[in-house]
Amino acid sequence: MAASLSSTASVRLLSSLFSSSGSRALHVTTVCCKNRAARVRVGKGDKPLTYEQALPPHQIGHRKGWLSQHTGNLRGEEGAAERTIEDVFVRRFMFGTFHGCLANEIVIKRRGNVLVVCALMLQKLPPQKFYFLIGYSESLLSHLYKCPVKLEVQTLQDKAVYKYL
Amino acid sequence: MAAPMALRRELFSLTRILGGISLSGPRALGACSGHRKCNIIRSRLPLASSTSFHTATVFSSTPSSVTVTEEPDTLFQKVSLLVKGHDRSVLDSYELFATMAAKELGITINKVHELPKDMERFTLLKSVHIFKNHRVQYEMRTHYRCIELSHLTGCTAQVFLEYVQRNLPEGVAMEVTKTAMEKVPDHILEPMWEDHPTDDKLSQ
Repeated sequence: MAASLSSTASVRLLSSLFSSSGSRALHVTTVCCKNRAARVRVGKGDKPLTYEQALPPHQIGHRKGWLSQHTGNLRGEEGAAERTIEDVFVRRFMFGTFHGCLANEIVIKRRGNVLVVCALMLQKLPPQKFYFLIGYSESLLSHLYKCPVKLEVQTLQDKAVYKYL
Repeated sequence: MAAPMALRRELFSLTRILGGISLSGPRALGACSGHRKCNIIRSRLPLASSTSFHTATVFSSTPSSVTVTEEPDTLFQKVSLLVKGHDRSVLDSYELFATMAAKELGITINKVHELPKDMERFTLLKSVHIFKNHRVQYEMRTHYRCIELSHLTGCTAQVFLEYVQRNLPEGVAMEVTKTAMEKVPDHILEPMWEDHPTDDKLSQ
């Protein structure tokens, strides 16, 4: 029973091959790179990744949130480019001021005139130095951008690891 | 209530949330270091009937007190709030908040509906130099929510709008359209042909 079934199956396969056009071809395209934006490539399993780093950018809006929230990109609203440049500057500024202390990417929110910078920090510095750096960055950024800047800082012992890749 | 509720507006609270206001307007001078006070100077725009304008208006920097004036309050037939955002769940919760606030203040809500979302898509080349056949597509989604309130007085509208705008979440923009009602002027209250019937016959 089983043998007869398999023989019929192979016959059918052969007949389908011969009934097609009869020519085989290999399609070769030009170099089609896989998307590499904001993705961490799979490795040996020793790289710790936070939730933000582990998810690729097509998950924004589904499993990921937005790192910078403003109204510049809505339909009918202006000022997207200026907000983006401000964001880039603020991120670099924070990265430099709190060097080695940032646990995750910085979230920038704009409510009206106020710029709220939310950051997760590691407890690498004594609290007095933290307070000084927070006050310094708040006042410097508010003088630079002529708007009230608030820093909301939360500290952790270690980075929150989501996955190892 | 004809008179507006007395809101305690310290200068600090003025620096708080006025979400989604178009930032092309005049910016406040930077905060003094160590203090949290900012003088926000905004101009009062005149209200015309059925205008639509963004929310960066009508907030004075002096602390408000209950004022009772002799002039009659403007009446609004319809005040419609159009809220735009990237995240639908944020708009859901904001709609819940705004409808609850309207119910507490006793404002009649005409309807709350969701307009279809807008997607702005563009296609760019994936590679820096050649490879025209390989592209990357991005899109930006704008979700809408429209809340229509009917038959408000000017004071109620001012209070409600201020409360609701102070608590706009970040990344959400709002457009307000007010339709005011005015008394029909006396000279067009009655049709002309009833007053001067002989003149019309002569002109014909």
